[in-house]
Parts: sequence; structure tokens; C-alpha cells
Amino acid sequence: MVPLDGLGIIPERDAGSPPILDIRHLCVDFGGLRAVDDFTLLIGKTEIAGLIGPNGAGKTTVFNLLTNVYKPTQGKILLNGQDTRGKSMHELNRLGIARTFQNIRLFSGMTVEDNVKVGMSHGYTDGVFTDMFRLPGWWRTERRQHVRALELLDLFNLTDKADALAGNLPYGDQRRLEIVRALASEPKLLLLDEPAAGMNPSETHELMDNIRMLRDRFNIAINIAIMLIEHDMNLVMGICEGIAVLNYGKIIAKGTPKEIQSNPVVIEAYLGEEASHA
Amino acid sequence: MDKTMRGYRQIPVYLKYLINTLLLVALLVVGNHLISSGAVNRAQKAVILQIGIYALLAVSLNVATGYLGQLPLGHAGFMAVGGYAAAILWKAMPKNTGAMLLGLLLGGLAAAVFGIAIGIPALRLRGDYLAIITLGFGEIIRVLIINLPSITGGTPGLMSIPKHSTFLVVYATVIVSCVLIHTLMKSRHGRAILAIRENEIAAEASGVNTTFYKVLAFTVSAFFAGVAGALYAGYTGILTPGNFTFMTSVNILVMVVLGGLGSMAGSIIAAAILTALPLALQSFSKYRMVIYALLLIVVMIFKPSGLLGRYDFSLSRILEKLINGRLFVKKPQKAGEDRG
Repeated sequence: MVPLDGLGIIPERDAGSPPILDIRHLCVDFGGLRAVDDFTLLIGKTEIAGLIGPNGAGKTTVFNLLTNVYKPTQGKILLNGQDTRGKSMHELNRLGIARTFQNIRLFSGMTVEDNVKVGMSHGYTDGVFTDMFRLPGWWRTERRQHVRALELLDLFNLTDKADALAGNLPYGDQRRLEIVRALASEPKLLLLDEPAAGMNPSETHELMDNIRMLRDRFNIAINIAIMLIEHDMNLVMGICEGIAVLNYGKIIAKGTPKEIQSNPVVIEAYLGEEASHA
Repeated sequence: MDKTMRGYRQIPVYLKYLINTLLLVALLVVGNHLISSGAVNRAQKAVILQIGIYALLAVSLNVATGYLGQLPLGHAGFMAVGGYAAAILWKAMPKNTGAMLLGLLLGGLAAAVFGIAIGIPALRLRGDYLAIITLGFGEIIRVLIINLPSITGGTPGLMSIPKHSTFLVVYATVIVSCVLIHTLMKSRHGRAILAIRENEIAAEASGVNTTFYKVLAFTVSAFFAGVAGALYAGYTGILTPGNFTFMTSVNILVMVVLGGLGSMAGSIIAAAILTALPLALQSFSKYRMVIYALLLIVVMIFKPSGLLGRYDFSLSRILEKLINGRLFVKKPQKAGEDRG
């Protein structure tokens, strides 16, 4: 990890290119409560970054700010150098942000394959009439989307469930399908909100392999950075390169997993002051 | 290759389309022959035509209700706009096929324009609010019709509209409309509309322009309601504002809910039942509404998702099961397909 502009650290391999995400002094107020305070973070072009912190620290709020669910009170977010202010959620998706949700939000009444196809929302030009009258554009799109959907599902070993209803999948598969759907838009930055929540240890392990594979395999074709919120420390320490720790809306520490693990401020935030005296 | 379908022979898409087209054309020809040869009497013919018109109304409302997941209560308003637009055109033109087609198209387009105009503000609201605003729209249309007698004939209505709606015209229109709605829904645009019903936030975050697709679905719904209105005008020959009250909207909604939200086949079947039933029960008309209401209550208690739920009839699926010798065996990995 190397420092950049004195604002944060990014992996050495990304040092040559500008950071994918550049967050400066982000604040948001809910009524009188400052939920996120002076949040500054850089994420490298192909980094796997972690955002951790105790419950209620404001981690999901940061994700919601990044995807413009909430409007920041102050500060700015540059995605690939572009200011995201005032963009709608689907425009941001087109610019390269895709996300999953803490409480799974799949299209449960649709098939697994159709869930992934909905994610492929841009790059297709066939219009409404082309599709209604089954002109050649429809056939091309359907073929392309079908092939691509199966490719993506294959990454997460979900191919044989392509025709099942998403709502009927086991919990772990639903979580992974959400990631596949997010990948379908070919994002430059993938936000994962507690991807391992509710998974058993072996499912979590599989997920870690999946995420690593995304970096190693996906990066050859397209560059993807991943930012994840997670409470499972094995996962966070196992795959994240840079970690930011949030408490009461403020970043209390930034660093590599090793630095974070031994940081007294972090330990205090998680275990309380008593522990640091002990 | 497609791993999911290992060992399960599928019919190619173009062949499915060919089979379905041939079958629908055959249905039209046979039906037309029965009607013109006099095998059905006048009263039966009237029921058959009404079923067609209400089926199209129900199918079109199903786009906004079943597929998009909104609850508009002003469907009769779109029907009225289409009906009056077509009627006025037809009265001014000689009675020929060109005029008939033009009238149907104009009816649809006029309703679609209203669909866009009402959809853009209304779809910013959700649930109850959308229901109320569309209810208001339906009533405004009706009051406008009453108060513009120079164009619409006012309360007595438009009379001696050329009767364009023969069996062939009604059913060819209904079939073409259903096919177009079906092909729209089985495309990336249709999937975006369904995604909004399933989870609007996730759809938006997946890059679906939810505003566009909501207005699109609403407009398509209005367009085909307008076409159905035109068919209605060409069937009765008389249009009065009394045909397009709030109760008409509710009747269409009941058909959609009874048939199953999101099921085209369900909408058609429910439209047929609810159109034919009151006419069949005319001999003991005192108890007609009681039976009608009881039927609804019974269905809602025992099958709250409607007669067919979200299941849609598919001939090619049955054919595929036949050639695979699995007609009565569930297709693997399709669990829950016909769940309610």
C-alpha cells in the first residue's frame, strides 16, 4: 500500500492510475444528528477496500451517500474523476457503481437468469417497438444477454439454478445472486453491504474465494474495485487491502489489515475503554 | 451450452411463434365461420363480442396493475378517450377497412397521450395516492364529455356510430394486442417493468430508469384501453358518458384481480366469466349481484392470488413437456413456477 496525495493509501499496482473513488470531507445531517462526519477516503482502481465499525457507526449511510440515496450536506464524491452530485441512482449505475443491499433485495418473483438480465441495463439499443415486433434487434439482445447471464452465473456456480425463481433460492445463493446481478452492469466499483451476513463459515469461505476470484479474473478484462461493509473479521482481514474504521460517523483509523488489528483506537471502539486498560 | 436444460429438448423460439400464429389464425377463421354461418344466435354473438372487448380491457389494465404493480382506478377514462376519438373519426369517414384501422389506432393513440400526461405526475406517487389521482382523472374525463356537447354529444351521447366491430375485427384486434403486450413483456423492457414491481429500489440501483419504465407501462396500458374503447364504440354504435363511470373501472379491476395479478390468461378467463355470468344470470336478475359478489368472496378466500395467480398459459411449454414425455412431471428447477 502506498500513500496518495496525503489523503489515503492505495495498493501499489494502482498507484499509476487515478483512484476510482475519491471522497472528500463528506458530511450528512439527519435533523440535528451528524450521521457521517468529514469522511475522506480514496479507493484504488482495483482495490478491495473494507469499511468496518460497530453497529450504527454509519457504514450503510456512507453507501447510501455513494449511491445518492441520500444527498450529502457537505463534501463531494468523485467517481472516476466525475462528480456524482445530483445524479439519479440509475445514472450512477451507468457511470459504474453497482451495489448489493444489507437486507437482500432480489426480484424474487423472477427467475435467477432474469434477475441478472435486469442488471444488464445499458449497452443495449433495441427500442420498445423493436422488441414488440420481434425485429432482429430483439433476437440479438436476447442471445447476448442469455450468454452473458450464464457466464456471470457460472462465476458463482449458480448456472444450474438459472431457471429457478430467485425467491426460492437458499439464503447464501440469494446473497451471491445479488452480487452477480450487480456485476451484470459491468461496474467499475462494486459496493457490497454485509455480503456474508447470515452465512455459515463454509459459505463465507466460498464467498471469500468468489470475491478474490473477481479481482484476479475480472481485472484481466475490466478493472473493478470492491468496497465492502462486513462484520465478519475473518473475511475483512482475509481479503481487504485497505480498511477504514468508522465510529459515530467519523473515520477513526485507516490502514492495512495488520495496522488496523493492532490499532488501540479501533480496539477501544469495538470493545470499550475497559478493554484497553485490561 | 445451456447446462440447465441438459436432456430436456426445447422447441426453438421461431417454431413456437409459428405454431402459435397458425393456431391463433385458425381460431379466428373457425370463429368467424361459426358466426357468419349463423351457428350462434344474436344474443350469443353479443356476449362473445363483449367478452373480447372486456378481455382486452382487463389485459391492458393488467399491464399497469399486474406487471408494474400500481393500482390505477381510472381505466374507464382511457377507454372513454379511445372510444370517443374513434367514434368521432368513424362518423366523419365512409365505412371501410381503412377507416376502421385508422379509428382503432387513433383511439389507442389518443388514450396513450392521456396516459403519458396523467402518468408523469401520477407515477411520482405510490399506492393509495396513485389510486386516488387516477380515480379523479377518470371522473374528470367523464365530466368533460358531459360538458363538451359540441364534440361529444354531451349527456345523450354520440349516436349512429358506424358499427365496425365485427367478430373478426374484435378478435383480431384482441389477439394482436395480447401478442404485442406479451412480446413487450418478454424483452429487456418487460423485465425492467417486472423488476420495478418486484423491488423498485433494487431496480433503480441496477440501472433501470424507473420513471421511464413506469410511464411506459402506464402508456401501453392506456393505449390498449383506448383500442378497447374504440372496439366498444364500434360495437354498441352509441357512446354515452354513463358507459364510463367509476364502476366500469372497478369492474375491469375486479376482472384482473380475480384472474390473477400478472397473468394475461387469468385476465382473459376472468373477463369471460364476469362478462358472461351476469348475462347468463339474467333470468333470476334479483339475485344476480348476490351470486356475483359471492363468487368474488369465495375466490378471494380460497385463492387470494386470483384464479391463475401469476401462472400464464403457454402452449409451447405443454408441447415441450409432451415431446419430453413429462406432461405430468414438473420441469426440474422450475419449482414454484405456478405458485400463487
